[in-house]
Amino acid sequence: MRHLADIPRWCDDVTDSTSPTRFARRSLLKAAVLGWRDESDFSPIAMGNGDAGAAERSLIYTVTGRILDVSPQILILHTERGEQRFPLAASAQAWRGGPVSPAALRQGDHAIVRRRHGGGPVLDRIWAEIGRVTGTIIERDGPTSLLVDEGPAKGRRIVLIGPEAAGRIQVRFPRLEPGYLIDVIGHKHDGYLQALVPATSQPPYRAGHPPAAPMVSGHVPDPVSGTAVWHEPGEEPESLLGLAYPALDPETSCEHATSVAPLRPGDLHAVEGYAVDPHATGSGCVRLPYLSVGSLIRLRNDCAEQTRIVPVTSCGATARLFCDRCVTCGTSRRGRIADLTMAAFVELGGALEVGCFNATMMIGG
Amino acid sequence: MLTAIREVQIPLLAAVLLGAFVAKAWRALRPQAGAARSDPAGLFPAHLRRPIAILVLSAELGLGLGLIGTAVPFGHPWPTLPATVARTGTALFFLVAVGVLNEMRQRRPHSGCGCFGELSGTPIGLRTIARPGLLCASAVATLGLPPLRMPSSPTEAELWLAVLAFELALIAFLSPELGEIMVRLGYSEPCELRRMPVGRTMSALHASSQWRRYAGQVSAGGPSDVWREGCWRFVVYPGYARGRPVDIVFAVYLQSRRPAVRAAILDADTDEVLGPTGTRQSAVI
Repeated sequence: MRHLADIPRWCDDVTDSTSPTRFARRSLLKAAVLGWRDESDFSPIAMGNGDAGAAERSLIYTVTGRILDVSPQILILHTERGEQRFPLAASAQAWRGGPVSPAALRQGDHAIVRRRHGGGPVLDRIWAEIGRVTGTIIERDGPTSLLVDEGPAKGRRIVLIGPEAAGRIQVRFPRLEPGYLIDVIGHKHDGYLQALVPATSQPPYRAGHPPAAPMVSGHVPDPVSGTAVWHEPGEEPESLLGLAYPALDPETSCEHATSVAPLRPGDLHAVEGYAVDPHATGSGCVRLPYLSVGSLIRLRNDCAEQTRIVPVTSCGATARLFCDRCVTCGTSRRGRIADLTMAAFVELGGALEVGCFNATMMIGG
Repeated sequence: MLTAIREVQIPLLAAVLLGAFVAKAWRALRPQAGAARSDPAGLFPAHLRRPIAILVLSAELGLGLGLIGTAVPFGHPWPTLPATVARTGTALFFLVAVGVLNEMRQRRPHSGCGCFGELSGTPIGLRTIARPGLLCASAVATLGLPPLRMPSSPTEAELWLAVLAFELALIAFLSPELGEIMVRLGYSEPCELRRMPVGRTMSALHASSQWRRYAGQVSAGGPSDVWREGCWRFVVYPGYARGRPVDIVFAVYLQSRRPAVRAAILDADTDEVLGPTGTRQSAVI
């Protein structure tokens, strides 16, 4: 049991193996003490925490696993349920460093796939070895190699930009210099990401200086609109349906976490000057109510018109640094409101290689 | 009357210039100061923006101090050249400002002038452009004015104060920043965005009637879970009720004075609700 004296040191994370059920029970306890504001809302009490509730929070469209075999008609994946065979739709599209035919995927590739119909066997989208790096450039080694700080919780990643992608990326990220933000999608390799496409346009300000959000009078508007993006699983389970929320309660959540990946020896003392703690840069350009891990959010993909209830599973403070818009379908409001797990992003109808969708969220499920 | 009008211009112009300097410097020094802000430097290429911003700041500080420093007699005979330079410079500064603001209004109709830092976020309108025009005329009116002196009679002092009040009212009318200042003075962060230490929540809980009602059933010295959603912070204590282990959940509204506190008891094993639950209306976070 955790005691009050421990609270400032807590770092909520639903993947915390010691007490994942603690976070899962929070919505139930909240409903017990406050009730629910609308009968049509998802209520754990009404659901009795039973099958319907579990189905609501499990993946319907999305499967993750490692490719065991692939042919033009069949994909065999090793998933957490064991070996699974999926027929491919005739129109199935695959991505492996770019659009490829499904037959071009390789054995051993890590893949995330989307079913054509919820719960059905047929696949229509496959992404293999896709990765993303989002954060602050803290070191540049020549024109093609960057060291990127993804925030206190995620550590640092190496990004390589090949000549075939350099022009495409530099159009959207003209300042590939320490102190500026980067957000790129590419082919994931051991120890680095081969950047292939820009996930957004580079904000014009330095990473530690996002513009302040306008003041809010009365209550924070609900629902809130903005941009939803995705992140790599890291230490989370790959099939986790959840999101990293940019405004976790600083008193009881990850604000105090300082687990930074170890530096490479020797040359990085100067690099520290460029690393940005997103908790110290203000609320970002969108005002979001403070929540905690385990809070439920009803999130809508405005482009695909799909809605799911997604639990907050981790800290997404780095999203506060990006005061950008998504233009997947029209122009979204400025600011990132949710940083989804890959599985949740695909489940909501997002295309990973695009990087974002216009989203609307309602707090409290 | 005309002399009175001329005499109040110098302290007024100096106050405006130094106020603008302080507001801009405050914005520049703040950690959240971003490049997304709007000011006249934004009209220039990126590599010139910083030097232009520094030039504007230096001009405001230099002219403000110059107007004050040359307004009082400090030599015999009183040298007129420094005073003329400061006052002419001030007139030119505001004349240039009229042109720049007009240009900004045409090229960036949705951006503020940045004249008083973060306070000047309102899109530039005719009033915003008229203000430096008025100040330019004020500076021109001071040319040739002898050193400032104290009013020679109560009547003259009253006249000066009346002129000063009228001109301040005129500048306030031409200043969209005044509305922003009033908003900020009266602004209170919504409870969803307000940081609230856990210790204050616990103090409020332990002082509540709900706590007194259920404290006897609590079986641990500290909570087993504490979290927040919007305006509510939830505190869970393990306990015993009706002979079985329970979770006692308290919800504390995050406000400073007399916060609402609600409570519920759930069976720790089955999650069955044993105690009072909240109402639907209370769930607004």
